[in-house]
Amino acid sequence: MTSARLAGTSIGRARSLEQEAAEDVFFGQVVMIWARWFLIVAGAVFFLWTAERSSQLALGVVPIVVLILINFYLHGRYLLERPSNPKLITVASLFDLGLISSIILVWGGGDGATGLASPFFVFYYPVLLAFAFVMPRAATVAFTALAAGIYAAICFGDVSSLTSAKVLVLRLVTMAAMGGLGTYYWRIQRDRRRSPSGSLAGA
Amino acid sequence: MSWNFKKSEAAAGLDHGQTVIVTARWILIAVGLFLVTVVPSHDVGEVRLQVALILLLGLGNFFLHGLLLKGRPVSGAVAYAASAIDLTVVTILLASQGGDSPVYVLYFPALLALSVAFEPTITALYAAGTAAVYGALAIVEGLDPAIAVTRALMFVAVAFCGAVYWQVERDRRSRQRSATTSTTNLEGSLR
Repeated sequence: MTSARLAGTSIGRARSLEQEAAEDVFFGQVVMIWARWFLIVAGAVFFLWTAERSSQLALGVVPIVVLILINFYLHGRYLLERPSNPKLITVASLFDLGLISSIILVWGGGDGATGLASPFFVFYYPVLLAFAFVMPRAATVAFTALAAGIYAAICFGDVSSLTSAKVLVLRLVTMAAMGGLGTYYWRIQRDRRRSPSGSLAGA
Repeated sequence: MSWNFKKSEAAAGLDHGQTVIVTARWILIAVGLFLVTVVPSHDVGEVRLQVALILLLGLGNFFLHGLLLKGRPVSGAVAYAASAIDLTVVTILLASQGGDSPVYVLYFPALLALSVAFEPTITALYAAGTAAVYGALAIVEGLDPAIAVTRALMFVAVAFCGAVYWQVERDRRSRQRSATTSTTNLEGSLR
């Protein structure tokens, strides 16, 4: 049976969808890896710059080293054309989320600010975007909602006025926009690949 | 992953990415209106400027959205100018509020949208420009340099991730085209 004849059957379609989902993870995970490298660089710059005591610096370097080890492993696998499976990259992304949230919760930075005043929430943005580019919509919605929920829970106690509530809402909306716009573009690209005219666009 | 691309690929990418830009701009407008209406500034001049900018942005986006709904492509020059205006509006809002305004987070959706629509070299210019302008503003306003650098790095990170994904998808389509051509040729030779 030729591939064209197989493609017309339900088995062919199911295999094609499954293959497409696998390819999304196979090719897309490099975006997640790059997002994590940016996180590492930004975190290292910030910790090196703002630490005032050697103990603070020694503690601050621990999460950076852990992230480097994880990302080196994932990047190595990708370069060897043995990319990680969806479960592994989801676990790695959840770890990123947990780490960023812990830093926001406990790490005082240069001026001792945690919670809503912590400057580290910006680390969420590339992580949310990279996840949305790689994983299906349902997973992205769950991941984005989890991140927004955790951040809202961390900052809730710091909301003392309408102005601080406004700041929190602004951040949550833009975080949701990262997940939403990322998954929207993911769908556009999937439809583009599936449509015969779309796949030829730009040829 | 190759960073060389044809002009036609860039144009096709722009056509498909336009809807993301228009959606992101509606988000900017909605968030902007929220910022202006909830606990507005006491300075009437500042509020006047914010409302005028948001209304102008809405008007422009309505026009671009209309073109997309009618299936008429938006030219590259118009798309580039509109994205530059988005970033300029965010910068003006930021400058008008002074100090450590929280409005800088609006750069994230704006940069994400343009990074998936424009070719990577154009994205790099916009991201570098945004980071530089924000850095300059932060210096003028006396913001902690470590915080300013971290934020600027995250702007670049979001734009870079968008550009890498743009490239990944272009390569996938290219492989798909090659596979389709090979299969068609093979089936033709078997007949």
